[in-house]
Amino acid sequence: MKTKILVIEDDSSISELICMNLEAAGYEATPLFDGLCAEAFLKEEGKNKAALALVDVMLPGKDGFALMEDLQRAEIPVIYLTAKDDVISKVHGLKSGAEDYIVKPFEVLELLVRIDKVLKRTGRGAQKLQIRNVVIDIREHSVIKDGQQVKLKPMEYELLVLLAKSKNIAFSREELLNRLWGTDYVGETRTVDVHIGQLRKKLDFHDVICTISKTGYRLEDLD
Amino acid sequence: MRLWVKISLVTILALFITSGISGAVVIYHSALYNREKTIENYEQQVKATAYALGKELENTDLESYSQVAVNSFFNFMIKKFGASQYILIEKGQVVCNLTPFEFVDPDFGRWNQSEVYSAIQKNAMQYVLIAGKAVPVSGKADFSLILVQDISYLYEEIREQILFSIAVLAGAALAAAGLVFFFMKRILKPLHELQQAAKDISEGHLARRADVNAKDEIGAMAENFNHMAEQIENQVMELASVSEQRRQMLGSLTHELKTPMTSIIGYADTLLFVKLKKEQRQCALKHIHEECRRLERLSSKLMSLMGLYENDSILLEEVSIKELFEQAAELEAYHLKEKGIQLKVSCNMKSKKVDRDLFISLLINLIDNGIKASRKGDVIWLEGTENRIVVRDQGCGISKEEISQVREAFYMVDKSRSRKDGGCGLGLALCDKIAALHNARLLIESELGKGTSVSIIF
Repeated sequence: MKTKILVIEDDSSISELICMNLEAAGYEATPLFDGLCAEAFLKEEGKNKAALALVDVMLPGKDGFALMEDLQRAEIPVIYLTAKDDVISKVHGLKSGAEDYIVKPFEVLELLVRIDKVLKRTGRGAQKLQIRNVVIDIREHSVIKDGQQVKLKPMEYELLVLLAKSKNIAFSREELLNRLWGTDYVGETRTVDVHIGQLRKKLDFHDVICTISKTGYRLEDLD
Repeated sequence: MRLWVKISLVTILALFITSGISGAVVIYHSALYNREKTIENYEQQVKATAYALGKELENTDLESYSQVAVNSFFNFMIKKFGASQYILIEKGQVVCNLTPFEFVDPDFGRWNQSEVYSAIQKNAMQYVLIAGKAVPVSGKADFSLILVQDISYLYEEIREQILFSIAVLAGAALAAAGLVFFFMKRILKPLHELQQAAKDISEGHLARRADVNAKDEIGAMAENFNHMAEQIENQVMELASVSEQRRQMLGSLTHELKTPMTSIIGYADTLLFVKLKKEQRQCALKHIHEECRRLERLSSKLMSLMGLYENDSILLEEVSIKELFEQAAELEAYHLKEKGIQLKVSCNMKSKKVDRDLFISLLINLIDNGIKASRKGDVIWLEGTENRIVVRDQGCGISKEEISQVREAFYMVDKSRSRKDGGCGLGLALCDKIAALHNARLLIESELGKGTSVSIIF
């Protein structure tokens, strides 16, 4: 089952943009276009129906800060998404109980990574990821292909999870290096290539993990 | 030096000089007069005495007397007439002198005239008046009578008078100086207040006014000064409010730019790095296209608004309003048909001096607003009467609180809907400006749910 995320944003084009990316990355996105709609939706659906809400601060009907109470009652963690990038708004947003605060315009990858972090922190992330015939069990730390366990080295496993969590999104080699080995790691981007090669071979992912020229790699899996 | 000190000193100096000179002249004249009078007095005395003595001498037979007897006789006579003031001269020889002075002037002729001759002699200590004339005796030897009188007391009196005058003058001058200082300071005090007020204003206390109640030139000046200060204050306030408006407009502008930017960057980003389905790619491209269009519209509206602000010269020409209405209706025909809205035009207005292009854009903006607010099947009226043009619709209306704000740049009543329809919140700001350029004003009346009417009143 896919992780469900509420997108409460009044600008239809930005709402669609976020939903498009969330769906590509394997989430289920539910767009809500104004504060009153969101309030009604939260009342109706009850608790824990969504794993996370992305909320625009300036909303018609009821603004994002005012919605916080309803979201907390429904026990849905919040990431604010706003054009207001003054410190006071940020502090206000975070103090009121938001998990994170993202200022527009934002990069898609940044948004996805922040979503993933919040989901991990609040324990709402998906426990199992499926890519074609491969199932990744996050809790068990195991990878099963066609019912058979595949042995992966720790770094290969981390790389696979990172790519799978933001599937269909391209990562640059530098980004992968920084995220997995840390910014202190003094290595070459070749290291990434080697691990990607291993994953492709072990999982038969030659056409799943694609090389994007001049950028890096992308795990592609469209439904 | 302070102004009041300067004026006071000049006044006092003038006072001193004039009163000193006039005092001196008066004293000099009175002294002269006194002396004349005194001399005349003595001359009269000499005349009377000489006359009496002449009579005595005529009646006396001097030749029968011995020399000694003659001398005693003279002494007796002189004593009888005038005590110790006289000297009697016979043929240039002093025959009798009872004065304490010695007669040294040998020029007998001076004293031997029928009229009194007088002179003033000054010796070491005294001023002495000498007056003499011939004694009128018929047939006898020539006699002259001379009066010698110490008149130092006269000069002493004059000296005392001068000293007294100087003392009085000095006292009066001191008193005058005090008065002049006091009044000058009082009269010029408002100047000080004025100066202080000017200083305060220059330091930024724009609400400061000079507190002067005088009814003179300084009062008038203070009044003008206060008037000027008020003008300055008003203008500064106006400038501040204009710059505040500009600041707000700029703030709104950046916000308005940010939303399409977020979309464009986001979709472009997505297209570059995200594996999408074909229809999703199309959708992303469509969004980028739309948002760019929105930016373009925003910039062109902004440009025209800026243009209206910067260039106040517009081309006013006599234009038939009916013709304008027809043109506007024609331009909107497609839009109206698409939305299923009817436009009813009526015009009782003759021609007016307007800028044709600007005015059509004003009408179209207002009709567009009407279309956005209306539902399918509604009617929009465009009416021209005596001196007003009204655009009226049956749409959703605007709430009372919002009517005052709708003219502000970037204000949108229904943000998300307005954006969907391609609005950017500049329409009415633009209309307002165009109306102002035609010396007209915009009146917006509305009732929620019943419709809105916008009037251009000339």
